[in-house]
Amino acid sequence: MDMLASYRRAFEALPAAAQTAPRRAALERFLALGLPSTQLEIWKYTDLAPLAALPETALLPEAEVSTTATVEYADGLDALNGAYASGMDRSIPARTRLPEPLRPENRTHQRHRLRLEPGSEATLILNTSGDALFQTIFADIDLAAGSRLHLIRISDAGMDAHRVTRVRLHLARDAYADVVSVDLGGKLSRHDLHVDLNEPGAEVHVHGLYAPTGSGHVDNHTWIEHRAPHCVSRESFRGLARDKAHAVFNGMIRVHPDAQKTDSEQRIANLILSPGAVINAKPELEIYADDVKCAHGATFGQLDTEALFYLRSRGLPESTARALLMWTFAHDILRHIPLDDVRGRVSQRLLRQLPGGEQVGALQ
Amino acid sequence: MLDIQDLHASIDGKDILKGITLKINAGEIHAVMGPNGSGKSTLSKLLAGHDDYTVTAGSVLFQGENLLELDPELRAAKGIFLGFQYPVEIPGVSNMVFLKAALNAQRKARGEKELDAGDFLAWVRHRVKLMQMDTAMLSRGVNEGFSGGEKKRNEILQMLVLEPRLMVLDETDSGLDIDALKVVADGINLMRSPERAALLVTHYQRLLDYVQPDYVHVLAGGRIVKSGGPELARELEEKGYGWIQQAA
Repeated sequence: MDMLASYRRAFEALPAAAQTAPRRAALERFLALGLPSTQLEIWKYTDLAPLAALPETALLPEAEVSTTATVEYADGLDALNGAYASGMDRSIPARTRLPEPLRPENRTHQRHRLRLEPGSEATLILNTSGDALFQTIFADIDLAAGSRLHLIRISDAGMDAHRVTRVRLHLARDAYADVVSVDLGGKLSRHDLHVDLNEPGAEVHVHGLYAPTGSGHVDNHTWIEHRAPHCVSRESFRGLARDKAHAVFNGMIRVHPDAQKTDSEQRIANLILSPGAVINAKPELEIYADDVKCAHGATFGQLDTEALFYLRSRGLPESTARALLMWTFAHDILRHIPLDDVRGRVSQRLLRQLPGGEQVGALQ
Repeated sequence: MLDIQDLHASIDGKDILKGITLKINAGEIHAVMGPNGSGKSTLSKLLAGHDDYTVTAGSVLFQGENLLELDPELRAAKGIFLGFQYPVEIPGVSNMVFLKAALNAQRKARGEKELDAGDFLAWVRHRVKLMQMDTAMLSRGVNEGFSGGEKKRNEILQMLVLEPRLMVLDETDSGLDIDALKVVADGINLMRSPERAALLVTHYQRLLDYVQPDYVHVLAGGRIVKSGGPELARELEEKGYGWIQQAA
């Protein structure tokens, strides 16, 4: 594809040692596959044409080579990340609890592989707050039996930022993962979360917030695959869109034929704060087992008028009352961020971009 | 203090209040009793400025001023407090932050100096103890995970902190056990003064055993059908509302 020739040139500008055979193969794969098209259902609302139009100086493949390149790629973006990225390849020893969260080095393109050995526990923070124009972060995480992962993904880059992130979690017997995913900024952001509940007793909790502003576009896709009996999933996503922002959420819960006694719940709630803002949110449920408990619900709305009246009846001006309610709406997700410093930073950022948020900040 | 004249109000085109006239002077406590659906809650919410209701006739003056023109927050600043029948949970905003914001917003609207953190803390802690609540509640979210009784207690705490002129309490006694009822009643009695007035909206006489009203009114079908002294409440408790409705 000619349009992607700049990606080849940027790659070929790397030192020879960085142009390894697996990376080159990944690049060729990317150029052959190209960027996903909006004709694909899962890309329906997100046009990646801006990625093809990025200046060559914004592409910035990593010179350092890591061992995380793979041989097979799910799509063009996966292959691009394979060709450009570097990252962490770690294993957490059995029955070990990492005392500090893993915070991968802030590279432009990151590709991580993490394995939690049986009974281990770790916290991982994936952060796209850097000022790079274009960044990709892909992570593939294996949770062995009884291991526990706390994953925090924060996307709060500036108004010009383009971000593609993708996380895959594979959970073995009785493994547990909780994920908090927050999108607060950027021009174009796409996040894919794939969760495979592969063995009985695996459990995942996902809390997500998207709050694009300006003309920002944020697209979250999640797939939670119940592949074994007695697994639990809880998913709650909330969206706030203002200005001319566009948010997309698509959450698939798939209960495979063997996954009896699945216990799954998905909640989606959205607030549209400006007439020009758009949110496309779609829950999807596919059930191929018969003895399962699956609850789901999606709401689109304005603020709760009773709560608004309650606050105003105590003397709070309407604008402050509205801002407080928006804040509590979002806080319901942010409170799940297990690290105080990260939660504090994200909260401050959110308050800066909520209408009237400074009034809420002044109260704290 | 409060002068309601021939007040008619409707919601979604349905008439709820059909001509209420009620005068409350400073220092007085009035109880409004009545069966469910008689318009009790409508009257209290309307006084606080809920915009679900349309006033179709009549007037409400508060301290000589047309109350119906004012936004809820301005009514609060002028001294009207509504204790909610169903207080709302505001998770993520602590009671402390909420109370300080509310008090200072009202003081600001009245042109008074706002309280700083230290002064406010002293102000609120004292009142939390009066309500026999744990000061740890101040760092919890507003009504977040509170039981029905705790929510009602919190309403009275808010009232003690905000020191309104007119206390409108909408079924604050419902859902309370006897101990909580006493604490709530003590809170109301504490606020009783020659400068303040109260409108207690209730279904039962229970609360009035602890807070002695000066006047009791029976509301039925959107009208006040009978007024009297405290003995009227006892009569209602004994005979129920049937005879009143028939008489009306």
